[in-house]
Amino acid sequence: MDEQQPGEGQESIPRRKFLEIATVTIGGLIGIGIAIPSISYVIGPSLKQTIAEEWIRLGSATKVEVGVPTLFKVKIERQIGWNVTEEELAVYIVTENGRDYIALSNICTHLGCRVRWITDSEQFYCPCHNAVFDKEGNVVSGPPPRPLNQYQVKLEDDQLYILVG
Amino acid sequence: MNIRLGNWFNERLGWRGVWDAIFLRKVPKVNWLFTLGSATMFVAALQGITGILLTIYYVPTPDQAYESVQYITTQLPMGWFIRGLHHWGASAMVVLSVLHMLRVIYYGAYKFPREVTWFSGVVLLIIVIGFGFTGYLLPWDQKAYWATTVGTRIAGVAPGIGDFILKVMRGGEELSAITLVRFFGVHVWVLPLTLIVLIGTHLYLVIRNGISAVPHKGD
Repeated sequence: MDEQQPGEGQESIPRRKFLEIATVTIGGLIGIGIAIPSISYVIGPSLKQTIAEEWIRLGSATKVEVGVPTLFKVKIERQIGWNVTEEELAVYIVTENGRDYIALSNICTHLGCRVRWITDSEQFYCPCHNAVFDKEGNVVSGPPPRPLNQYQVKLEDDQLYILVG
Repeated sequence: MNIRLGNWFNERLGWRGVWDAIFLRKVPKVNWLFTLGSATMFVAALQGITGILLTIYYVPTPDQAYESVQYITTQLPMGWFIRGLHHWGASAMVVLSVLHMLRVIYYGAYKFPREVTWFSGVVLLIIVIGFGFTGYLLPWDQKAYWATTVGTRIAGVAPGIGDFILKVMRGGEELSAITLVRFFGVHVWVLPLTLIVLIGTHLYLVIRNGISAVPHKGD
């Protein structure tokens, strides 16, 4: 043990100051060593994709009338944590000529409610905050910041597929 | 600026007096064995932090407990590390608190005026063991299940009220979902709150009475 009195030594760093610095440094290192793993542990699953990217078959394209958005519902599996959940995906398929199809998500881009096709007014309507979208999914009125999301569509042997994930 | 801010708060909170009482109090010349209590408290704090982190993902139900623990250990970034700290920290808690107790016995530090410090320490040791017992069940694997089967059966051999104690611990005749959730509840609510109150008491008494010096021959 150093016999010098704290704070009045001839050495460049007095004992008290040295212990203070050592405590703060070691404590700080331990703190960082816990904090960084903790942060990655907490945000870990948040940034993870929960469905694999794949083409999902919706059904026959003959069900879609020209000019009338048609709702298709498919079940997809989602791996979240240790749970595999089945979830229903609803997609409006729209065609103007029977050859080119677009697939619109029915999820309102405002706050995530589900939109509905209203045949009389020929518009998509969201019941939550009165948002209105046209047949291509563009915003007609209401609070949504952007058009309805679209999925990539392909037609194979008269069957419609969309790309999810 | 820092000093002025510190003064501003000190005038209103008087925290410097508290700080000095805790960290700048006079202590006799002691040795490294006197750090065992602080070491125990450090690990206890670590158990608190890692335990809170584990509850973010852990689910105390029979059909999900095991899967959620496996998910924490194998899927989450640093999950193995957080769970590992909590797992080994649990053993360290028992080892350190027993060593701390042995030092107090060996140096006779439990004597007047520190008897109440000793009593609170005895209860703290029982709480630490309670943490170990209840926490052991939570991974809900074979080892957990059978250890708790045996552990509760041991409580059951107490004369007269043994069977009653066993049923209260298990929440019924058998180990079940009820057992798992009540062990979880005790592990994350009852024991931590009791622990905090008692550590507070224990520390207050250590500061109030000061620590005992190393005894010498003829003392």
